Amino acid sequence: MTEPGAAGRRTSPRVLLVHTVTFRQARSLVPLALAVFAGRGFEGGPVTVAVLVVAVTLLSLLWAALTWWRFSYDPGPTAVVVTRGLLSRSVRTVPNDRIRGVEIEAPLLHRLLGLVRVRIDAAAGSVTGKDEELLVDGVTRDEGDRLRAHLLARRAVVPAEASGRHAAAEPEEEELPRFRNRWLLYSPLVGSYLVVPLAAVGALFRLVDELPDRYVPELTPDLARQDVLDGWLIAAVVAAGLLLLALGSIAGSAVVNWRFRLLRRGGSLVAERGLVTRRHTDLEVDRIRGCAVSEGLGMRLVGAARSTALVTGLGDAARRGQLLPLGPRDRAWLLSDLLVPSPGPLRPHPPAALRRRLARALTPGIVVLLAGAVLNVTSGWWPLLLSGAVLTLLGWPVGRARYTALGHAAGPRTFAMRSGWLVREHVVLQRRAVVGWQVQQSAVQRRAGLATVLACVGAGRGAYAAIDMAADEVADFTEASSGPWAATLRG
Amino acid sequence: MSAAPLPVREPVWQLSRSAIALWVTQGVIGTVVYGLLAAAFVLLVPTGDGWLRAAHWALPAAVVCYGVVAVFVRPRLRYRVHRWEVTGEAVYTLTGWLTRTWTLVPISRVQTVDVTRGVVQQLFGLATVAVLTASSQGTVRIPHLEVDVARRVADHISRRAEQVRDEAT
Repeated sequence: MTEPGAAGRRTSPRVLLVHTVTFRQARSLVPLALAVFAGRGFEGGPVTVAVLVVAVTLLSLLWAALTWWRFSYDPGPTAVVVTRGLLSRSVRTVPNDRIRGVEIEAPLLHRLLGLVRVRIDAAAGSVTGKDEELLVDGVTRDEGDRLRAHLLARRAVVPAEASGRHAAAEPEEEELPRFRNRWLLYSPLVGSYLVVPLAAVGALFRLVDELPDRYVPELTPDLARQDVLDGWLIAAVVAAGLLLLALGSIAGSAVVNWRFRLLRRGGSLVAERGLVTRRHTDLEVDRIRGCAVSEGLGMRLVGAARSTALVTGLGDAARRGQLLPLGPRDRAWLLSDLLVPSPGPLRPHPPAALRRRLARALTPGIVVLLAGAVLNVTSGWWPLLLSGAVLTLLGWPVGRARYTALGHAAGPRTFAMRSGWLVREHVVLQRRAVVGWQVQQSAVQRRAGLATVLACVGAGRGAYAAIDMAADEVADFTEASSGPWAATLRG
Repeated sequence: MSAAPLPVREPVWQLSRSAIALWVTQGVIGTVVYGLLAAAFVLLVPTGDGWLRAAHWALPAAVVCYGVVAVFVRPRLRYRVHRWEVTGEAVYTLTGWLTRTWTLVPISRVQTVDVTRGVVQQLFGLATVAVLTASSQGTVRIPHLEVDVARRVADHISRRAEQVRDEAT
């Protein structure tokens, strides 16, 4: 402890081990080393390799030690100062009141050594980027908790006006409805989790492609002999593939969501999750502007849903804002209602909206059908005609389902909007969330007496829409759902 | 055209008439660009048979249609539709020509006010006022105001925003 000022703190020396093992800093040398070897040619037996490994490890250790020695952080009463850099020093000061959230994560190696990594989110306005984040890598778990409590103390003691260290007495904790690991079984029905095994399969294929031919087992002759069983074989392969896909998606979502917990601690919500890397995210309740409960097509079949908090100024909001990554619908609603009370049952949209949804769902099918009819008459080619007919028939239930998904409601303090078929999203927003209204009306909507209303909010996707609402309800809805300023819209 | 009643009221003020000239200019520029592309296609791609031959006729025809709409129809329609208004508590605009979009932003939630002048706009002495909020979608643009009007409007909005600012986003 020589260089940093009296207040500066270092991370735990144990992080040296982590960084040495993972070659965190030395990784940047790999291209250089490759270039050297490419230039000089690589000859030599096991001894050379061993020497090389030792050398690289030592270098890595040296580098990690230097980085550790030159890094210090100082959580002061008004601002956090992080000093780092080997040769050129950089000092970053983030005022405590600009801190939007603190995330504590513990990857596997960190966990073994009892360390954590603290991410301090200091995003400003609509600017997003990695630069808005302070990273304190490798403090002990206790120190991480202390740091978090200190950084977030400002909120907890706002009314009581206590000194900075006061927050050491942790405010009361309350566990919100617990996540059950068996809900992970829903994951094959969620699109985003299905992508995980598919990506793995893609990587596997690339790997097989790279492998020299003699290591790849010969599959083709085997298949050719089983001519008779062809149909069965294909069916079996497809079934096995689907099963693997389902298992893979469950595994993928288990890695991320294992033992998901949500706590209310003072003025913030704390979410903990992860099998290998434990993540610990703080959400400030005061910054929550609304909740979204979304149900995919498959999830609706089994009554599953996920719920997400819409938080202003939160980086990576889709992941960090999750209240319930997966679970039964009533649980998702329980959480959503707890934070943002529901405004009551939704009002359905007028029949004209149903006609418009049906027209939109049927049009592609009818176009294909007509093209198919022309082709059938001119050249007797029927598959297009058939697929057109199937598309048209499917368009009917889809259009109806899209219509039944539509709805809106305005309550005393919140309002709600719902839409979507592939993923049906029900958003409940607070009145104060609205930073603007946008009303859109196309020529078709004008004739049908409909309009689409977008509530612009500074959280989540930025705007949420009530599609095809009756045009004469727009002014009432906007005024009931936001401040008196919305009366400007009234004639 | 507007048989059905409007969903919300129209803002009060119309744009400057030079906006029509500006839109016509933009339409002419667009038509010239598409015309050149179509000419290049007709001259450089050999006349084949079937749909290639059809494309040789359809492309120039499409450009002519676009030109008629963009130069003679759209500017006038846009001028009839476009409206704007700044009240004590909100900025309100109506834009579009076939699809109409009304945007309302309360001044208490305004974060920044920009005045921009494009190249063509400078020819006609016009400027666009953009009013930004915390939402990426909640941006109001009042296009094609006379420069001094735009400046006064921007001034007024930012001064008023300071008085009634609401810290929440």
